[in-house]
Amino acid sequence: MNRPLPILDDVNAPYYEGTKAGELRLCHCKACDELFVFTHAWCPRCWSLELDYKVASGRGTIETFSVIHQAPYESWQEKVPYVLALVMLDEGIRMMSNIVDCSPDDVRIGMPVTVGFEDREGVMLPVFSPKSA
Amino acid sequence: MRSPVTIAGAYEIPPRRYPEKSTLDLFRMVLKGALAEWRLRPEDVDGLLTTTGGDITGHDTYIHGRLISELGIKAAIAETMNLGGGSHQAMVNRAAMAIAEGRANAVICISAGKMMRPGVGAAEVMVRAISDPSLEVPYGSWIAGLYGLVANRFMYERGATAEDLARVAVSARKWALLNPEARQHNAGALTIEDVLASRMVVSPFHYLDCSLPSDGGGAVLVTRADLGEKWAERPAYIKGYGEYHPRGTLTDQGSLIDTGAMVSGAKAFAEAGLTPQDIDVAQLYDAFSSTPLLLLENLGFCKPGGAAAFVRSGAIDPGGSLPVNCYGGLMSYGHTGEASGMSLLVAAARQALGTAGPVQVDNARNVLVHAYGGIMFYHTTMILGDRP
Repeated sequence: MNRPLPILDDVNAPYYEGTKAGELRLCHCKACDELFVFTHAWCPRCWSLELDYKVASGRGTIETFSVIHQAPYESWQEKVPYVLALVMLDEGIRMMSNIVDCSPDDVRIGMPVTVGFEDREGVMLPVFSPKSA
Repeated sequence: MRSPVTIAGAYEIPPRRYPEKSTLDLFRMVLKGALAEWRLRPEDVDGLLTTTGGDITGHDTYIHGRLISELGIKAAIAETMNLGGGSHQAMVNRAAMAIAEGRANAVICISAGKMMRPGVGAAEVMVRAISDPSLEVPYGSWIAGLYGLVANRFMYERGATAEDLARVAVSARKWALLNPEARQHNAGALTIEDVLASRMVVSPFHYLDCSLPSDGGGAVLVTRADLGEKWAERPAYIKGYGEYHPRGTLTDQGSLIDTGAMVSGAKAFAEAGLTPQDIDVAQLYDAFSSTPLLLLENLGFCKPGGAAAFVRSGAIDPGGSLPVNCYGGLMSYGHTGEASGMSLLVAAARQALGTAGPVQVDNARNVLVHAYGGIMFYHTTMILGDRP
């Protein structure tokens, strides 16, 4: 059994076209000029339908994390212990991800991280690793 | 402010594992016991609200129909509702609103559930119910891990330690040792060292920082005040209620630790004309040991950063200045999944009714109960009083 994949649809297609191109895109409302997390069909702040995407810098800090010692279901068993995290992007947007390329014991709140992409059965998922000095 | 609505009865079956019982069987066990205790007739009850039936393989959202048939009542209001752990107080509120409008007179609010262990496929189903399937689930989130995210941030911002979280589990066990209905009633005292020595599940939670999956269910009877005064020796008066839904996923909101409880709590206190200092007993939803600390601060019992010291002082223990989770907590009493919030509501109602027996707090005049659904998404705060 494989780990879960995103469910691709018309609304989130631009986001995953972005990750395929190595870009982390943030949904943007042209009417109220706000950025927000997740992909949307309408702006959750002003209900405008005029949306586009901005390319994020890929940089952020770890807002919080949890080291997962018990796999929730079979497909995660080989990854334990892994790090589930909420990353606060420099753009002020929060996203959920995994912290990779370091020991779970070394992860700290406030750690600067940069985005990379994990190939999961052809879908590119944003993941984060500690920023090199 | 005189409340026109009361809780006249509160009944719960002890949480256990009932492997041979289906969820519907549990609903029937609750009704049989409640009807025997309440000694009413079908014509006395004209409403029924319930949480979902079925189980994680398929929820029954028409169970209210079946229960109406089995009860033989003619219902002016009837509904299957779901706010997760917040369902039970929301049901009481919906019943109270109908009664206040003259649409109903006496409403049964019921819940039953079988909380599956995470390892049998339940963890994925449960997390999908409260997550974005694309932007959250693929990262290996599950209920415990999502709570871990909030708890770690709470510890970072508010200065709580692993020992402080463990001390909450220790307090819950103290109450369970007094409550014969609690699953851990005979498990012996718990120490901070015991909790910290148990295996890590997800940081910061050790096994003994987590609640205890169980099967069970309960019901309360919400009535016009004059009926409550006739049927109960001393009914519990609904003094105030607040509800707030700021989000539906963990990623998508403002502060992780200034939760919607701040808003629902403020509404309930304002409606009741009370402050945290007026509360004698508080039931605070404890899916994990971190949440009572966070709720003590969000609800204004402690200032930000003050909950850990408050709990370390023994204030929430038996004999303390603010008894909390005096039924034993979801950690030592048992967590019945869809019916978990009902355990807190029944425990609170019994305090105000004066029927809490071995865990009755003397002079429990004003009782607060806070429960929520999701990872602190759907918040309900209710204040009950022992007099109008």
